[in-house]
Amino acid sequence: MAVGSVTGLAALQAALAAEDAAIFGYGVAGAHLSGTRQSAAAQDWTGHNEARDTLTAMISGLGATPVAAQAFYQLPFAVGDAASAAALAAYLEDGVTRAYLGLVAVSDQRLRTFGAVAMQSSAERAAFWQGRTQAFPGLQAS
Amino acid sequence: MPDILPRRRLLAASAAALPALLAIAGCRSAEVFAGPDPLAGRPPLSRDVITLQAVIAAEQAMIALYQVAVHGDPRPTGRARGLEGLLAQHRQHLGQLVARLILPSGEPSASFSPSTSPSAAPTTGPGRVTIAQLRAAERASATNLVRRLVTVPPDLAQLFASIAASDATHAVALGG
Repeated sequence: MAVGSVTGLAALQAALAAEDAAIFGYGVAGAHLSGTRQSAAAQDWTGHNEARDTLTAMISGLGATPVAAQAFYQLPFAVGDAASAAALAAYLEDGVTRAYLGLVAVSDQRLRTFGAVAMQSSAERAAFWQGRTQAFPGLQAS
Repeated sequence: MPDILPRRRLLAASAAALPALLAIAGCRSAEVFAGPDPLAGRPPLSRDVITLQAVIAAEQAMIALYQVAVHGDPRPTGRARGLEGLLAQHRQHLGQLVARLILPSGEPSASFSPSTSPSAAPTTGPGRVTIAQLRAAERASATNLVRRLVTVPPDLAQLFASIAASDATHAVALGG
């Protein structure tokens, strides 16, 4: 769990890094999906791009340089079919949720609210890809 | 141990003499002891505790609403089974919230139980809770928790945020 000593900037950078990883991962997952699930993945990919832009602007607004996305991300497991692609999407969303939960621990009330609202979207997407809801999104392993 | 009795007498004499000494010095007990006055009654609950109590009460109300929806359905339908899964997660929420609540001794706490009984929903008749009502309750709960988390300590704020996110997923699972 994140702690209160984490600065708002560090938490924003962590959220941005998680969004960048999700953007990369959805590119991989989408290649193994079809039909409505591929459409859902494309929609989620777009959502993460928008979130990345928002976070980049917030970090720049603080006078800092946003962390750069990596060229390649190590996948947590092999992705070769629709089932593993959906599992990857869920994994990515859990990571994003945890990152936004870090924002909730900072002292800035606006950032707390921003993180709490943002993690609802990622938790909803995670539930879609997992096919089930979680009691404590961001606080528990998927 | 020849010196025990004289020492006890000395201590007793000191205790007995304390009020007189204070009177001579022109002091009152509240001026001498900087801590809370034990004669002033129970101290007020902190803002965080009051917030947590309110969140616990809301979670209990949510559980009661689900219990009416589940137990009010006379048939063992898929709907009831699905609702039981969400109800179980609300019970987990309540358990975690109650675990964070530390009340001063003497404060009533018996009503905060993770296993809220079905009888805790007196205002709604059996089977009268619709999916739309549950969905609205989940959305309202998520909004309420986000509103409350800005003022509480970080660890409690994260618990509120996580429960709010869970509630948001419940609302989606309920169709909206």
